[in-house]
Formats: sequence, structure tokens, C-alpha cells
Amino acid sequence: MKNIVEVKGLTKTYGGVNAVDDVSFTMESGKIYGLLGRNGAGKTTIMHMLTAQMFPTSGKVHVFGETPYENNRVLSQVCFIKESQKYPDHFRVSDVLELCHVIFPNWDQQFADQLVNDFRLPLKRGIKKLSRGMLSSLGVIIGLASRAPLTMFDEPYLGLDAVARELFYDRLIEDYAEHPRTIVLSTHLIDEVSRILEHIIVIDSGKLILNKDADTIRGQAYSAIGQAEKVESFISGQETIDRKPFGGLLSATVLGSLDPERRKQAELLGLELTPVSLQQLIVHLTKQKSDLRAVDFR
Amino acid sequence: MNRIATVMKIHAKDKLMWLILPWCLGLLPAFLVNFLIGGIVQPEEGLYTGGLASIFVWMMVVGIVTLTKSFPFALGLSIRRTDFFLGTLMMIIVVCLGSSVVLLALSFLEGDWAWGVGLHFFKLPYLSDGSLAEQWWTLFATAFHMSFLGFGIVAVYRRFGRMGLFIMFPVIFVGGSVLALLCTYFGWWADIFNWLSGHSAALLASWLFVGAVIYALLSFFMIRKATV
Repeated sequence: MKNIVEVKGLTKTYGGVNAVDDVSFTMESGKIYGLLGRNGAGKTTIMHMLTAQMFPTSGKVHVFGETPYENNRVLSQVCFIKESQKYPDHFRVSDVLELCHVIFPNWDQQFADQLVNDFRLPLKRGIKKLSRGMLSSLGVIIGLASRAPLTMFDEPYLGLDAVARELFYDRLIEDYAEHPRTIVLSTHLIDEVSRILEHIIVIDSGKLILNKDADTIRGQAYSAIGQAEKVESFISGQETIDRKPFGGLLSATVLGSLDPERRKQAELLGLELTPVSLQQLIVHLTKQKSDLRAVDFR
Repeated sequence: MNRIATVMKIHAKDKLMWLILPWCLGLLPAFLVNFLIGGIVQPEEGLYTGGLASIFVWMMVVGIVTLTKSFPFALGLSIRRTDFFLGTLMMIIVVCLGSSVVLLALSFLEGDWAWGVGLHFFKLPYLSDGSLAEQWWTLFATAFHMSFLGFGIVAVYRRFGRMGLFIMFPVIFVGGSVLALLCTYFGWWADIFNWLSGHSAALLASWLFVGAVIYALLSFFMIRKATV
């Protein structure tokens, strides 16, 4: 597989604060990436630098093997849908879509029309009169119909209801299956998208703290539920990242892989084993990092 | 499709900004008000107005708005800064060409007839002196200058942010005041006005054009380093 994004030692400093701090990663073609992290972690800044809309303070950014700055060979293959996208005041939805048709080489008008229908977007309405959800729908439609070899969605679902979000995920997977490309989803609704993510990059306070295959991460932890004392004996000596007692029961989340022996042990104790959710694990990982920093400050 | 043509298409979608507002909200009301005054007052020596300036002010507004609104839009949709600049330059040239030809035609139409009410709106003494080509050049260069004046101001904002403008305007203001003071002190004003009135409007327009080219070049270098 070819690396289409290569980032090395990427740093962006604002007034002495590192918004992005020495981040390095690569992205392969034909994969769905999750760029996850808390608000203000630096996800949007990284994507702005990947599209040369912002300049790195230091570090290297290569997209499709070249620097993206003022480079049409790179930029024409990239579609970056951001929450803060601005539109000229008097534009209507149809104006924007017509322009996208001209801008993106792989634009599929038929697909765009179908999506407009699915999301019930009023074509003749002015952009300024769209609700937050409609504005997000417009971004989603542009991102999907552009079929850009590198498509990035930055918080694409703000104001979208559950039905529209589900529609987005479904259309994304369907179209991705037919037209494989690299898709980056930046979000904090981790559980909702976890089923479609293939690789996960977690950014916290500007630093890269996790860069792994989604399946590998899912196998890194599990939860055991059952009678409190039995669970306690089961998890003793293990690294426990979460414990929730309710009544005489206990639910504990443990780091580590589940080998057959552990499974058997759990079965003997009458414990129920469940895979941990990606969201829980990432919340744990980001919390742990900030706890460590809190210690550093003391 | 060529990216420069794409940028022109973005601008062309905004007909309201480029065409309708300057003419219908700028020039037309200015003309109608003066026409009404001319009709009511009927001054014997005719009514000379500066209402024509409204369209040039609007050209400056167009320059400001395009960089404020269309630039972040275009950049967000994977368009290069260079292409945005060149496409906008082309668009400004096309619009200034069109506007100047229409204004020239209106000035021709006005002639000595003066709309029947003695209103001199498009054909003005001094400004409309000289050959047809010179008259056209005066209108074109002025419109071009105003567009890039607006564009250049926002380019400073795009590149250096609010602080850029906070510094630029006081510097221009103080610099201008000092210059004016020097002119008064050394008694240069008379010479300056003599020089200005000694030259045709078309020649002064050429100086405006030179100024516009300088703004455009500076804007280009600032835009190349601008972020959204």
C-alpha cells in the first residue's frame, strides 16, 4: 500500500503554545482513518496544514508525495470538509454544488443529486438561511460526491439528527466500497463511527498518543461483569482502567488481550466478558495522559 | 477545468455583488436623486454632480468583499492562492472594462442634452476631456485603482490580521498629516495644484493605474502567505 500522507515532526506554535507538538504519522491509500481527540486537541489544525491552509511552524508534510502548498497536483485530489467553511453571502445551495462540480475532478453529479434528495436539502435556499444541520448536510454531500482520493471530514455532523448521521455513515460505507479512497473522519462521537474506522490516530493536547489499527485497539481491553468478589479475584494483578459497582455486581475493564485460558477462568467464575468500546478506551487513554500531566505540574 | 477560470466562475456566481449592487444600489439612486433635483430646481447654469463617484466607491467595496468572503471559500475548497489571485484579477479587469465602456456610452448619451433637465452626471468638465480613448482610460483606470485599493486593504488583514490594520491606518494617518504639514510649511500646495491641473485627467489616471499595479503586486505577495 502506498503512503499518501506523510507527516514528520509537525509542529504548530501559537504565541508560545504548541497547538500541534512534534506529530508524525503516515496514511495509506484506501483506508478509513479516525482522527480522534478532545476539543482543541489540534485535529483541525493538523488537517489545515495537510491542505496548506495553514503553515507549520516546523516539520514536514507530504501529501501524495509532494508538499501541498500552492500545488494543484496535490490540492485537486484533496477535499477537506470543515465545520468552519465559509461561503460568499449571497450563495445558494445550488450555486455551491455547481461550483464543486467544476472544482473537483471526480465529482459525481448524479450521486450529489441523490444525496441532496436523501438529506432533503433545499437547493434554492441561501446558504445564510440554512440551519446548522443543513449546513453540515451540505458539507457531507460535497465531501461524498467529490470522491477525492483524500477526503477529510472535520466534525461533519454538527446539528445533524440521528437519522441524518446514520444516513451519512451508510452512504459513506456504500460509496467507499465502490470507490475506495482515503477518508479521514475527525470526530468526538467515537462510538458512532467506531464500526467504520479501520485505523485510529488519537491526538491529545497537540501530541500524538495513539496510532494503531482499530482491531488491534479493540483487542487491547475487555470488560468483565459479575459478582463483585468474583470479579475482584479475576482482575487481581491486572491493570484495571475502569470499575463500576452496582449492587453486589461489579463491571471492571481490564487492559490486556483475552487468551483462551482467561476465557476459561471467567467462565468458571460465571463472569460475563464483553469487548470494550473504542470510546471508553480512548477516553481512558486521554484521561490517563492528562492525569500524568497534572502530576507533572505539581 | 482551468483553476483560474474556476475562480472567475465563483465570482460570476456572485452577480449581486459584482453587478447588481454597484449599479442598482450605487449609481442608479445617485442618478435618480440628482435627476429629481435637476427637474425640480432647474438651475440655469446646469447641475453638475459628483454622483458618478458612487460607482467607484462600490468598486472598492467589491474589492473588499471578494477577499473577505470568496477567498476563504475558495481556499477551503482546495483552490490555490495564486489561482484565486489571478482569477480575481481577471474578473476585476473584465468588470472594469465593462463598467468603463457602459459609463462612456452613458456619457456620450448625456452629451449636451443633459437628460433634458440640465443634469451633468456622466459627462463632466475636465474628467470627460480629451479623446474617446482618453475618456475611457480615465474611467477604467479609476475603477481598477479603487478595486485594488479595497482588495489591498483586506490583503493586509488576511496576512497580518487585525494588528496589521491597527498599525497600517495610524501610520498612513500620521504620515499623511506630517506630509500635509510639510506642504503647508514649505508652501508646496500651490505647486501641487498647479501640477495636478496642468495635466489631463487621463494622465492622472495613468498614475492611479500605476498605484493599482503596486497594490496588486503587494496583495499578491501577502495573499501567498495568508491563512484562513
